[in-house]
Amino acid sequence: MELADILFYVFAALTLLCGVLVIANPFSRNPVTSAMFLVLTIISMAGLFVLLHAFFLAAVQILVYAGAVIVLFLFVIMLLDLKEEERRKIKFFGVAAGLISVGAILGIFLKNLHATNLNAQSSPSIEGDTAALGKLLFANYVLPFEVVSVLLLVAMIGVILLSKKKLD
Amino acid sequence: MNSSLIALEICVLALGTVLLLADFWMPVERKKFLAYFAAIALGGLLLAGFSDSSFCQTFGTAFNGAFVEDAMALFFKRFFLVAAILVLFVTAEFSDKIAAGISEYYSLIIFALAGMLFAASANDFVMLFVSIELITVTFYVLVSFQRAKLTSLEAGVKYLIIGALSSAFMVFGIALIWGTTGKMNFTELAAVASQFLDNKIFLIGVLFLLAGLGFKIAAVPFQIWAPDVYQGAPTPTTTFLAIGSKAAGFVLLLRVLFAAIPAVAEQWRDFLIIISGITILYGNLCALPQRNLKRLFGYSSISHAGYLLLGVAAVSATGQSAVMYYLAGYLFTVVATFIVIVLVMQNLETEDISGLAGLNQRSPILAATMTLAMASLAGVPPLAGFFGKFLLLKAVIGQGIATSNHGYYCLVFTALAGVLISFYYYFGVIRAIYWSKEAKDLSPIQLSGAAKLAITICIAGIVWIGIFPNTILNLADEAAKSLGI
Repeated sequence: MELADILFYVFAALTLLCGVLVIANPFSRNPVTSAMFLVLTIISMAGLFVLLHAFFLAAVQILVYAGAVIVLFLFVIMLLDLKEEERRKIKFFGVAAGLISVGAILGIFLKNLHATNLNAQSSPSIEGDTAALGKLLFANYVLPFEVVSVLLLVAMIGVILLSKKKLD
Repeated sequence: MNSSLIALEICVLALGTVLLLADFWMPVERKKFLAYFAAIALGGLLLAGFSDSSFCQTFGTAFNGAFVEDAMALFFKRFFLVAAILVLFVTAEFSDKIAAGISEYYSLIIFALAGMLFAASANDFVMLFVSIELITVTFYVLVSFQRAKLTSLEAGVKYLIIGALSSAFMVFGIALIWGTTGKMNFTELAAVASQFLDNKIFLIGVLFLLAGLGFKIAAVPFQIWAPDVYQGAPTPTTTFLAIGSKAAGFVLLLRVLFAAIPAVAEQWRDFLIIISGITILYGNLCALPQRNLKRLFGYSSISHAGYLLLGVAAVSATGQSAVMYYLAGYLFTVVATFIVIVLVMQNLETEDISGLAGLNQRSPILAATMTLAMASLAGVPPLAGFFGKFLLLKAVIGQGIATSNHGYYCLVFTALAGVLISFYYYFGVIRAIYWSKEAKDLSPIQLSGAAKLAITICIAGIVWIGIFPNTILNLADEAAKSLGI
């Protein structure tokens, strides 16, 4: 077994383990702990992306999800009073619905995996590296890109206006 | 690449930034006058577009075909500029109620205008989505601007949720279209669209995209947000929503249906007919019991979306030019209505129709303006609204004869029934102005010079477009030609 294979199993196991701990942690029902395990899940998924040579995706995964999105989650968790959540019992209906939907997705995935002819010899071709992405973004799609920057400016103005302390 | 085509958009964005910066140096009591500065600047851009042949008059495409400048883009750009100028005048009259952050309000209007200008020129799905998002995100802020008012916040939240939902629909639709055809550009898509008419996934993508645009123009079954948001939003926002946002939805709808997927539009005639008919009936019937003026005009705007869809359902060049002509008349009518509402309701807490009581004694000019606007919305000759409806119906009947599709005749009768119903509530407003006995406050209303100017422009627009339709109609015909049906 090569090092890459070993790393794959390590990261895959970490992803699954942390993913389970996000939703069903036997030791703590604290939402903040769940959010921290979500960070670990995302980081181990980034490790899987690195093994697939998708370095940009891995970096974005950590920057955007582990960085920005989780911080947002934590803000919401801390702003809202979630004491109620800690006492809540896990409902049978929720578990059943979750298992059925996961089972269905797994079924579709396995069926597709079975249908595709996996060729072990073919080397993985990488599309969407940063250079190509940057070229597309700043040549073909430069106008939408700039309009999005105006959009962000508007969003920023809006957030400041709507959240400032003093009412008119 | 012909980047000079976007000179107008760059000027407008620069104006928005200047207004933001001016906030730092302007003394508080003078900030109100920034509206006039912005209106004059936009007026300058509009005139420059008419006089100088090199400034936003050269046609062509830029950015790999994502941005197109043609007769239709030019028509709608002028339309949006006029709309923004008039809305700025309405805002100046409203400025006492949103004194905190007034210059941000002005600059947000300008940024929304920039989004509309980009929408007028969008020629691929990425530009379509980005420009619509710029408009919508700006309106989230504009709608919930009066934070102290609960109704404004409620309207903001409703608009946010519905807007996010419609964006999700639209992105999903675009993804499906791109996934099946591999094309993002409208011109390229038009060349291959007819091969995909049997492809269910492609058609579902088109349906989702139309659903997203349906939210923007408030067509049934995506109209549910309109009355609440129109009622709760600050009145200038409501004005801009009724004019700018709706027209942006229509320019994109015309562009997508007739420039990108003409084959699908041809196939979906019946579907468009049904949507148009139901929208007309829903808007007019639900407007009947309304007492709140802004809510009434929320429903009225749904019915007008239905009238405008008549021209889309006709799937013909005459139908498209009728849509553009109708929008031009609708612009002046709606602004006239809302500027009267702003001026009359300035010192009132309620926005009920009874607030208009005794208006003919308080200010005969405002009473006359409102009467004229109502008559035009209802479609009384010789005003703009009458001739617009006439052209739309003519286009629909023309298609009925050409394709011998009986749905078109049913649609004509539905539209006529809608017009008859609408007479009842529009004349209810006029009755409240002249014949209501409930008037408590009969103090005269003082009009500022700017308000008088805006009212004069609106009245001139309503009457001139109705009596001398040729100028606008020629422009609209030329614009419809650029769609190539």
